[in-house]
Amino acid sequence: MFDFLKRVLTNDSASSRRRANERLRLVLTHDRIGASSQLMETLKEEIIQVIARHFEIDGTPEVTLIREGRRSALDINIPLKGR
Amino acid sequence: MEKKTAESQVIVVTSGKGGVGKTTTVANVSASLSKMGYKTVVIDLDIGLKKLDLILGLENRVIYDIVQVIEGECTLRQALVKDKRFPGLYLLPAAQTRNKDEITPEQVKKICEHLKSDFDFILIDCPAGIEQGFRNAVGAADKAIVVTNPEISAVRDADRIIGLLESAQFKEIKLIINRYQTNMVKKGDMLSIDDLLEHLCIDLLGVVPEDSNVIISTNKGEPIVLNGHSKAAISFNNIALRLTGKEVEFPSFEEESLWNKLKSLGRNIFPGK
Repeated sequence: MFDFLKRVLTNDSASSRRRANERLRLVLTHDRIGASSQLMETLKEEIIQVIARHFEIDGTPEVTLIREGRRSALDINIPLKGR
Repeated sequence: MEKKTAESQVIVVTSGKGGVGKTTTVANVSASLSKMGYKTVVIDLDIGLKKLDLILGLENRVIYDIVQVIEGECTLRQALVKDKRFPGLYLLPAAQTRNKDEITPEQVKKICEHLKSDFDFILIDCPAGIEQGFRNAVGAADKAIVVTNPEISAVRDADRIIGLLESAQFKEIKLIINRYQTNMVKKGDMLSIDDLLEHLCIDLLGVVPEDSNVIISTNKGEPIVLNGHSKAAISFNNIALRLTGKEVEFPSFEEESLWNKLKSLGRNIFPGK
């Protein structure tokens, strides 16, 4: 019982640093470009709409923010259907 | 005491978030620099919320302040408080009953230009926040030190400050991680040095471990580097050395095991073995 508790507790604490890193990664990416996750969702929808007007989309489109050092970039990956 | 270097360094110490140890860092690094023989002046720009005089233990010797210098009520030389314990260390105090928007970046810059002819190092203690006080502090500096704690809200604010410093064309922005606890990092309960460097992407200037001696020395009004060999004192001395251009290796920040302590003790007693 004691061992089990200890394991649970250490596992939990091992994740507090990891959780901090995950939360920071997300919040800093958004802070740097001044965009909320809500805005990112809207942006994603609009980008996909524009592409869909001209091409047929094949598969799952992805629009994500990525970090390269202190710079941020919009990573847009939209698979298109061939003719 | 004479100035030692031809080119003076004007360094702003900033953090965004309050309470991370900016003023303690400024007090100790500048005291350490003056101990090494560099003529050093610290400028407290936290107008309305001054602390540096207290941390340095000079609160009873303050007569004039920076706002009075700017308004021409006294000369710059009259306002400088000499620290008797450290040859070559001077404080330009902040005003306590005035506001940060009563001075401008240009006025601070002019004061720094005057100080350059007398001092090797000019360290500016920047107030918390990103408003007028921050603009006053960064306008005159050509190098910046960002102090943070291994704690998410401090890191977020540090990141914002770094962004602002980069837009202000700062070429040299360096990081000090204060209140670091190796044992907590090992347990997975604190952000590590590498985590912080990964998030903030700037060069590391120093890591100061959590050390209760800092509170004790602050109570007494004595910078910890005055006579301390505590962990924090060693870190502040290393930071000062790095500012003078010396390469100082970063210690591993691993908690020393009893065996390693015995080994290093043995090396000290029987050198050359």
